[in-house]
Amino acid sequence: MTVTSTRAYRPPAPLGGRRRPHGERRRTLTALAFLAPALVILGVFVAWPMLSALRLSFTDASGFGVEDWVGFDNYVRVFTDPAIRDSMVNTLWYTVLFTPTAVVSALLLALVLNSRSLPFRGFFRTALFLPFIVSLAVAAFAWSYLLDPRLGLINYWLQGAGIQLGDVLEDPMLAMPAVALVAVWKNFGFYMVIFLAGLQDIPASLYEAARMDGAGPWRRFTNVTLPLLSNTFAFVLIFALIAALQAFDQIYVMTGGGPYGHTETIVMEIYKSGFRKLDLGFASALSYVLLIATLLLSVVQFVFFGRREKDLG
Amino acid sequence: MTRKTTLASVGAIAVAALALAGCSAGDDNPSSDGPIELVFWHGYTEADGDVLNGIVDEFNDSQSDVHISTEINTWDVIDDTLLPALSSKTGPDLVAMPAERFPVYAAKKAFVDLDDLYADADSNLSDVVEGAKAMTVVDGTSYGVPIGFVPLAIYYDKAAFADAGITEVPADWDAWVDAAKKLTVDENGDGTPERYGIVLPDHATVGNGVWPSLIYGNGGDIVKDGKAVLDSPENAKTLAYWHDAIVNDKISPTGVDGIEADSVFSSGKAAMTFGGPWMTFIAGDAGIDYGIAPIPAGPEEQAASAIGLTLSVTNQGDAAKQAAAETFISYLFNDDNAAAWSLGSGWPPLRSGISADAVADNPTVATLSQYTSFTRPLLPGVVNSTDVLSALDELTQRAMAGDDIASLLTDAQAKVEAALADQ
Repeated sequence: MTVTSTRAYRPPAPLGGRRRPHGERRRTLTALAFLAPALVILGVFVAWPMLSALRLSFTDASGFGVEDWVGFDNYVRVFTDPAIRDSMVNTLWYTVLFTPTAVVSALLLALVLNSRSLPFRGFFRTALFLPFIVSLAVAAFAWSYLLDPRLGLINYWLQGAGIQLGDVLEDPMLAMPAVALVAVWKNFGFYMVIFLAGLQDIPASLYEAARMDGAGPWRRFTNVTLPLLSNTFAFVLIFALIAALQAFDQIYVMTGGGPYGHTETIVMEIYKSGFRKLDLGFASALSYVLLIATLLLSVVQFVFFGRREKDLG
Repeated sequence: MTRKTTLASVGAIAVAALALAGCSAGDDNPSSDGPIELVFWHGYTEADGDVLNGIVDEFNDSQSDVHISTEINTWDVIDDTLLPALSSKTGPDLVAMPAERFPVYAAKKAFVDLDDLYADADSNLSDVVEGAKAMTVVDGTSYGVPIGFVPLAIYYDKAAFADAGITEVPADWDAWVDAAKKLTVDENGDGTPERYGIVLPDHATVGNGVWPSLIYGNGGDIVKDGKAVLDSPENAKTLAYWHDAIVNDKISPTGVDGIEADSVFSSGKAAMTFGGPWMTFIAGDAGIDYGIAPIPAGPEEQAASAIGLTLSVTNQGDAAKQAAAETFISYLFNDDNAAAWSLGSGWPPLRSGISADAVADNPTVATLSQYTSFTRPLLPGVVNSTDVLSALDELTQRAMAGDDIASLLTDAQAKVEAALADQ
C-alpha cells in the first residue's frame, strides 16, 4: 500500500531565488505607472461621474442649494410618469426602426464590397464610411434642410416625380422613421467596416469546400458566412442597440422631440429633466434605468450568441 | 536609470500633471486690492449686443470699484450651460435669459432676491413697467429685473395690402380674417395659395406667444392664479375660430413653426406675420416695405403676449459681488441708459418714467411702446414652463390638424395641471 501525503503540493522555487518577487513588484509598478494616465482619466471622467450620478438619483438635487435624500422616489416616478412611459415606447419604436435597418444594410453592403470582382471597391468603401466621420448634429442640420417641405431638395425631387412627401418632420407617423433614417445613414458605414473585417477573417478554403459539396450562394451564406460571422454580428448588434437606446443628437436638432412628443426618447427626457427642469435627481435615476436596461439587453445578446456559437461548435 | 524606469517616471509625472490640472480651480479674482470682477452672460448677438456692451464699458469707465466682463452666447447655449456653470461655481455673476426660462432657476434659488433693490429709492427701479416686473416674480419674490419686454405685433407687407385694396389695418378678429382672405392668392387654383394672407405658426411660435395672445383676446387664459384654466369654453371657441380660418379659408399654411414663419413672410409667401422688433431687420433685408400694427382685438379684449428677457444676479458670488452686480443694474436703469438701451435694442423702454420723446428717434420703439398697456407677460411665475408650453404646442398643432378640440383641451388641461403640480 502506498502512503498518501496530506501535505499540499508546493511548486518548486522559481529560478533566481527570492529576487524574482521583487522584480515582479517592480514590473507591476511599471505597468501601473503606464496605466495610470488612462486610469486617472477613466476615474475622473467616467467612474466618478457615474458614482456621483448614482448618489444624485436618490436625492432631489437641482444643482443648487441643499439636496435631500428621497430614497427610491425618483425610481418610482420613472415607472409611473406617463410622459416617461411614452418616451420608453418611443425609444423602443426607434430601436425597432434603427437597429435591424442599420445592421442588415451594413451586412448587405459589406457582402457586396467584399467581392473581389467589384470595380472601385476602395472608393465605395471610403464613400460609404464617410457619413460616420461627420458629426451627427451637423448631419442632422443638413438633413433638416434636405427634408424641408418648402426649401428642401428631397421634396423638390419627389415633386418632380409627382410624389408629395409633405412636412416629414412635423408628421406624427413619419417623424420617427425620418430621424431613425438619419442615424442609419450616419452609422451603417461603421458597422459595414466591422462586417468587412469579419468577412475577411473567414478562410476561403471553407467556401471552396462548400462549393465542392455543391452549395449554392445562399447555402454558402447561411452555412458558412453567417455562422462564422456570429461574433461580429453580436458585436455590431450590441453596438447598434446601444446607439439606438441613446438616440438624442439628431432628434434634438431635427424635431426637438416633436411633433407633440412623437420623437421624445428616453435621452431627450433625461436632457429635459436635467437641463430644462433642473431636476437632476430624477434625470440621474432615469439615466441609471437606461443603463441597466442597456446592460441587460447586452447580456441577453451575449448569452444568446454565446450559446449559439457553442451549439455550432 | 534604465529605459523602463525613465518611462515609468514620465508616466508618473504625466499623472501628477493631469491630477494637478484637474484639481486646480480657476481663480478669476486673485487680487483683493483691485476692482471686483464680475462676469455677465447675455445672448444679444446683433447690434443690440453692441449697445449693451457699450453700456457695460461705460459703467467700467465710470468707476474703479467694479469691472464687468461680458460673455456672449446664444440664448439656448446660455440655458444649456448655466446649470453646470453655476453648480460648479464657474458661472456668471449676472445673467440675462428668456423670461419663460427664468422661473425654474429662480425657484431653485440660483438667483438673488432683489426685493430690497426694488425698494431702494436710488435703484431707478421704482417705475419698472408692471407687466415686465411680473416676469421676475416667483412665489411673491422678485429674483431679477426685466431687460426686454416687447409685445408681439403684426408685421405686414404694405405693397400686398395696397394690391388687395386694403387701406386700413384690421382692428378686430373678423376684419383681420377678412383682410387675410383678400390677401390670400391662389393663382393656379391648385388649392395651395402662392401667397397666404398671414402665416400663423401652430407650434414653437415666436417667443411661444402667438397662441397665448389669441387666447387672451377671447377672454381665455392658460394658467391663472397658479391654476390651470386651459380647458374653457372661451379657449374652445378660439381654437375653433382659427381652425376654420386656417383650414377652411386657407388664410395661413399649417404645421409651420415660429422660425419658418419668418422665412415664409420674408420670401413674400405671406402678407402678414407675428413678430418682434427683429422683424424690421428681416423684412428690411428682404426688401419688404413693412408696417407694424397691434394684434387685432379679440371678441373680449385686445391683448398681446410679451417676448420677455430677464436679468438676474446669481447667488454664486459673495455679498460684495452681489452688491456690485446690483450697482450695475441701477446704472443700467438710470434715465440715460434706459433710453439708450431701448433705442439701441429696438425694444420699448422698461421704465414708465422714460418719456415718449426720449425714444422718438427709433420709430419701431415709438410704435411698439404704444402697445405696452395691453402687453401681458407669458406664464409669469410658472416654474415648469417647459411642460406647460409643450402641452400648449401639442394642443394648437393638433387642433389645427383637425383633431377634436374638446378632447384636446381636456388632455392639455391634465398635462398643465400635472406640470404645475410638478414644480
